[in-house]
Amino acid sequence: MIQFFQVYKTYPGNIEALADISFKIEKGEFVFITGPSGAGKTTLLKLIIRAERPDRGEILVKGRNVTRLKNSQIPFLRRGVGFVFQDFKLLNHKTVYENISLVLEALGYKKREIPKRVRQILRVVGLEERVVKQTPFKLSGGEQQRVAIARALVNTPSILLADEPTGNLDPGLTVEIMDLLEKVNYLGTTVVVATHDTNLVARYKKRALPLYKGRLVG
Amino acid sequence: MGAFYFVRRAIENMKETGLTHLLSMGTIATSFFLFSSFLLLSINFGTFLETWEKKVQIILYLKDGVGEKRALQLKRELQKREGIKEVRYISKRKAMESFKRDLAGYGGVLEGLKEEIFPASLEIKLGEAFRTPERIRALAARLKKIKEAEEVQYGGIWLERLSLFLYILRWGAWILGAILVIIVLSVTANTIRLTLYNKREEIEIMRLVGATEAFVKFPFYLAGGLQGLLGAGGSLLLLFFLFHLFSLKISPYLSIYFGQLRLSFLPPDLIAEVLGVGVASGLMGGILSLRKAAGI
Repeated sequence: MIQFFQVYKTYPGNIEALADISFKIEKGEFVFITGPSGAGKTTLLKLIIRAERPDRGEILVKGRNVTRLKNSQIPFLRRGVGFVFQDFKLLNHKTVYENISLVLEALGYKKREIPKRVRQILRVVGLEERVVKQTPFKLSGGEQQRVAIARALVNTPSILLADEPTGNLDPGLTVEIMDLLEKVNYLGTTVVVATHDTNLVARYKKRALPLYKGRLVG
Repeated sequence: MGAFYFVRRAIENMKETGLTHLLSMGTIATSFFLFSSFLLLSINFGTFLETWEKKVQIILYLKDGVGEKRALQLKRELQKREGIKEVRYISKRKAMESFKRDLAGYGGVLEGLKEEIFPASLEIKLGEAFRTPERIRALAARLKKIKEAEEVQYGGIWLERLSLFLYILRWGAWILGAILVIIVLSVTANTIRLTLYNKREEIEIMRLVGATEAFVKFPFYLAGGLQGLLGAGGSLLLLFFLFHLFSLKISPYLSIYFGQLRLSFLPPDLIAEVLGVGVASGLMGGILSLRKAAGI
């Protein structure tokens, strides 16, 4: 599903973010990218959706070489990959419904199809109907992250990338969100979670790709 | 998603930075008001000038010794010349009668006037194409060379000055138009840039979920165009209202001095052009702002 071949990425100022990264993630897998802050986890996720370009190496996502994609083809790559952020990145002036439906509107879904899909995904992530008309800042951290996951999944992507999805949550909510991601994976989505939380990796017993100073270790 | 969806999003974007959009629309409307006023002035002034050009004639005063027979012969000769539509012979007697008619109120003063003191003349009306100041002047110069001519008079000087004024007015409108496009471009570009800045999170999310660049950018282009359209439209409405008020007050006086002359508002094709300039420059402003803010 995702393959990296000797990928290198350096930021301006000669800051080496990633070096000699090669790995393969199979369809339907649940994988952790682990490592301390600054290890290159976020850069790695950004490379998958072509938010960054590698200096060297090749990246295949669902059989497509994303390093060679034309700019006009990037949106179509991203439609198949959901993304969840540590800080949720929800639009606080819009309701929960609008936050999620925005994705479907952007992807050209038919107007009558949108409410059905939004309600369906809210049920999948375990959010009650009452939150639909609320704005995100009125919700708890766990609920906000559920909305963010719902937004990432509403167009049924085959891959879900989550960058420190539990970084802002207390231990109770962390478990809830991780259970939800496990459920999503169980339903067939390939899930990649970047986290610095070693306890989390130990608890869920999934394959881990440990990063340290931009290199895969172990 | 249909066109209506993009219009809705453009209006939503505009609402979110409502005051800024209102202020920039006000600036656009003010600029367009000035431009349209110049256009309106030049159109009406042009009509006024055309009406007066029709009335322009050349009067050729004949020397004292020229008899009626020779005068009528001259009349026939002149009528054959290119550009001359009609020639009327005014004898000394007719000139005196006309003078007395015009000054009928002064009764006693006019008594004892003899026709000998009035010069006979030929009143020359010109063809339409020959009513321009340059052609009138050229014809008058040729007429002066006729040996029976004492003097040649024509209302060309004021016509020339008014034509120059109209020329300045028309150029003024175009120069103002060019300045206006620059104003609209920069005002719209800055407003849209501000909206873009406010919307940067939403844009980032849209791009991450796979929205195409066209989908992301189109509402901003549209907002630019709408801003231009509303600014230009608002200015035309204001101008129409003021024009209506003004023409109501001034029309009675116009009919006294200029007979059939009527003030007219901008014709539909020019209104469409003004609105078109508004939309196009607003759209360009939107495109410029998105180019400069490509990183957002």
